[in-house]
Amino acid sequence: MESPHRADLFDPAALATLGHIEVVARWIVDGFLSGLHRSPRKGFSVEFADFRPYQPGDDLRYVDWKIAARADRWVVKQYEEETNLRATLVLDVSRSMDWKSAPALLSKRVYAEQLIAAVGLLLLRQRDAVGLIRFDDAVRTCVRPSARSTQWRRLITALADRAGGRASDLAAALSQAARLVTRQGMVVLVSDLLVDPEPVLANLRGLRAAGHDVLVFHIMDPAEREFGMTGEAQYTDPESSLAVPAAAADVRAAYGATVAEVVTEWRDALSAMGASHELVITDQPYTVPLRRAFDARQRRP
Amino acid sequence: MSFLAPLYLLVGAAAAIPLLLHLLRRNIATRVDFPAARYLQRAEQEHSRSLRIRNLLLMLLRVLLVLALAVAAARPFVSGFGVGHGPTAVAVVLDNSLSTTAVNGGAPVFAKLRDAARNLVLASAPGDRLWLVTADGRVRGGSREAVAAELDRITPSEDAGDLPLALRRAAAAVQGSALPARSVAVATDAQRSAWASAVKVDVPTALFVPGGDPPHNRAVLSAEADPGRWTPRGSIVARIDAGDSVGFRVLIGARTLARGAVARGEPVQLRVTPPERGWQALRVELEPDDFAADDARFAAVWVGAPPGVVVDPSAGPFVSTALTTLVSDGRATAGTDVRIGSADAVSSLPALITPPADAVRLGAANRELARLGIPWRFGQLEGGSGVARGSHLDGITTSSRYRLVRSGQAGADTLATVSGEPWVVAGPGYVLVASRLDPVATTLPVRAAFVPWIADMVGLRLGAPSGDAGAAIAARPAGSIHLPEGADALENIAGTRRSAAGATNAPEERGVWFILRGPRRIGAVVVNAPADESALARLSADALGARIGGDRASASQSASAWIRDTYASGTRRPAITPLLILALLLLSAEALAVRTTRSAAA
Repeated sequence: MESPHRADLFDPAALATLGHIEVVARWIVDGFLSGLHRSPRKGFSVEFADFRPYQPGDDLRYVDWKIAARADRWVVKQYEEETNLRATLVLDVSRSMDWKSAPALLSKRVYAEQLIAAVGLLLLRQRDAVGLIRFDDAVRTCVRPSARSTQWRRLITALADRAGGRASDLAAALSQAARLVTRQGMVVLVSDLLVDPEPVLANLRGLRAAGHDVLVFHIMDPAEREFGMTGEAQYTDPESSLAVPAAAADVRAAYGATVAEVVTEWRDALSAMGASHELVITDQPYTVPLRRAFDARQRRP
Repeated sequence: MSFLAPLYLLVGAAAAIPLLLHLLRRNIATRVDFPAARYLQRAEQEHSRSLRIRNLLLMLLRVLLVLALAVAAARPFVSGFGVGHGPTAVAVVLDNSLSTTAVNGGAPVFAKLRDAARNLVLASAPGDRLWLVTADGRVRGGSREAVAAELDRITPSEDAGDLPLALRRAAAAVQGSALPARSVAVATDAQRSAWASAVKVDVPTALFVPGGDPPHNRAVLSAEADPGRWTPRGSIVARIDAGDSVGFRVLIGARTLARGAVARGEPVQLRVTPPERGWQALRVELEPDDFAADDARFAAVWVGAPPGVVVDPSAGPFVSTALTTLVSDGRATAGTDVRIGSADAVSSLPALITPPADAVRLGAANRELARLGIPWRFGQLEGGSGVARGSHLDGITTSSRYRLVRSGQAGADTLATVSGEPWVVAGPGYVLVASRLDPVATTLPVRAAFVPWIADMVGLRLGAPSGDAGAAIAARPAGSIHLPEGADALENIAGTRRSAAGATNAPEERGVWFILRGPRRIGAVVVNAPADESALARLSADALGARIGGDRASASQSASAWIRDTYASGTRRPAITPLLILALLLLSAEALAVRTTRSAAA
């Protein structure tokens, strides 16, 4: 049974009001890990690298009982192979990501930042090297991947940068990511994908060809999924200034069908190249995207 | 098509709102940020055809909805369409004459007529105007509820009424209305005699005549005392209408005088010498039948000793001979109760007075009239020929008469005239004739009417106790009457009394009503229904329709058809209900179109 206190199951908007992104990300990851029935870490190597404090879920076979008996604290041994994964988190901070359909919801960008922080912390706790790229019409922030204990602080600092908010140049961001991740690793893209698909898919195809795992979190506001608008207006894209006059009630059905088609097109195109696609709605708890990221990590050796 | 509230048609301009919204939606000023606008654009491009059709359909439904509501608010009336009927001025003529009390098919005809009239009134709409006219010509107007309540209060009349008058008043009532549709609805038993004098009215007329033949009727057509005063011997003469021989009974007061049977067509004549004295009520009745109103008829008679009469030689030999006849018949005796003579010879009243034989005595005669308190004088002698009128003296000619000049204010009756001038006048205790009762002056003494006339004057006018009315007053129910001076009350044989002070109409209840002055009976009012009401023969509905309405009349034996015919004159019917139903359907279609779209989206 799921614990009622697991932060990863909370309403994202309610959770965001409880603390800073750093604190909230820790709650989310702690809650997520406590829900697992076994240790996330497998394939420990014989080549010892370091000790770290025991955490719930760690396999008891790797507890150093001598230290436990001598110092009365539990530590587990870590090995060099665990730090092989180099993950690059790519976050879209264009203007479209700043939008939300209702005051009670999180904007797509805030939700994505929270998700990036949680995924980053999850990977760092597994001794993976994690980097970050933030982009809009250009790359705004670039944090090289690292597994150091200070990396988490660097990621949080980068996420706190409010710069950005223009149009998306996702292709350029992905090119930058490819340059950052020289070894085979994992690229996690968080974006609303309101871009032309072909250049993006071409870059993603290049990443896959280089042996990287690609996981795409497709962020959507609930109103973008169902066209939960009302009245008759000129509906305007804040990035491209594209204005479409419509009566919400009249086009709702057609819009819903179109969005379903778009999502399917993205999913099919990404599947064809071996990448994962996950549609994330900003009123959903974080546990679903975290599970997808965790599963993707587990598939790595 | 016409409208009761045409200004509401302006609301129809609101139909332009959905039209303009549809046409101008590309110019919507409101801008809303929506990052996924590219999906919206793609949706419109991919579904443009279905969206356009759907938008056009919704626009059309909304325009029609607004138009339907606007037209409905204007309260339209159209021909051959709609529910109910247009505002109609309806006057209901309800035949409540005596003949409608005849029982037909187990119920009085009146009950059928009133039920049908009530249903007709209740079928009226709020915009209608209603009047109710009864057989007596009385018109009542008001709301549907008021007229329905008035209907419940109406009872059959004891009289024949005047249905042609009622019809004319009904037509006048609806013609005075400003409503576009007018109709007169007549519920009647179509009695032939009641509608004999009817004329066409220029208003659509709907007739309701209940089916079935009138009942076989036995009726007492007349009952009279002969003479009007019994001394104390007299006769009762009655005419009875029956299909076969029929039993009858004659009563004086509450006592049965005689019973018998009379063959068809034979009159009843019964000679009696009753022991009663004073004014008495007579009643001739038959066995009851389905029309009870004419099964009995009434008369009144004064019973007493014959008057004593003395004839002065100045009256002439013809008067003496007539009196001898009356005495021998027991209708007069030799005495001094009544005097007959010329004006200069009679010395006291009561008296039958003629002019003096010699013109030189004219002054003395006028002085004697003045002394006796008679408000008349003999004037100039007229020698020309003249013809008398009135008091059973029609056709009597005169060749010599004095002009009668009124000289006082006392009340007097003119019993007969010649050339428009008084010839025989009467007052308290006197009858004054302007010609000598001699064949040289008038043909009266040599006519058959002379002796009965002398008998009436002596017996009824002069021989009655002082202050008596003399003869019974015949009247129709509630008909106009002229009561003698000093009458206090009217009383029937059951003891029911009514005040007679200022009364100008007879009681409506049929029977004998004695005129009272203090405790004494001084006369009687005899109230009988008109004999015509006993003739129950009917016109056919179509024949009556042709008589009173011509081509604009419809006739029916069905109450529902009658009601339909009445309101059919309002051919323009209100279309508000169908329009509201149409608006509801349009609204449902619009909601369905929107909901279908949303369901598809879900």
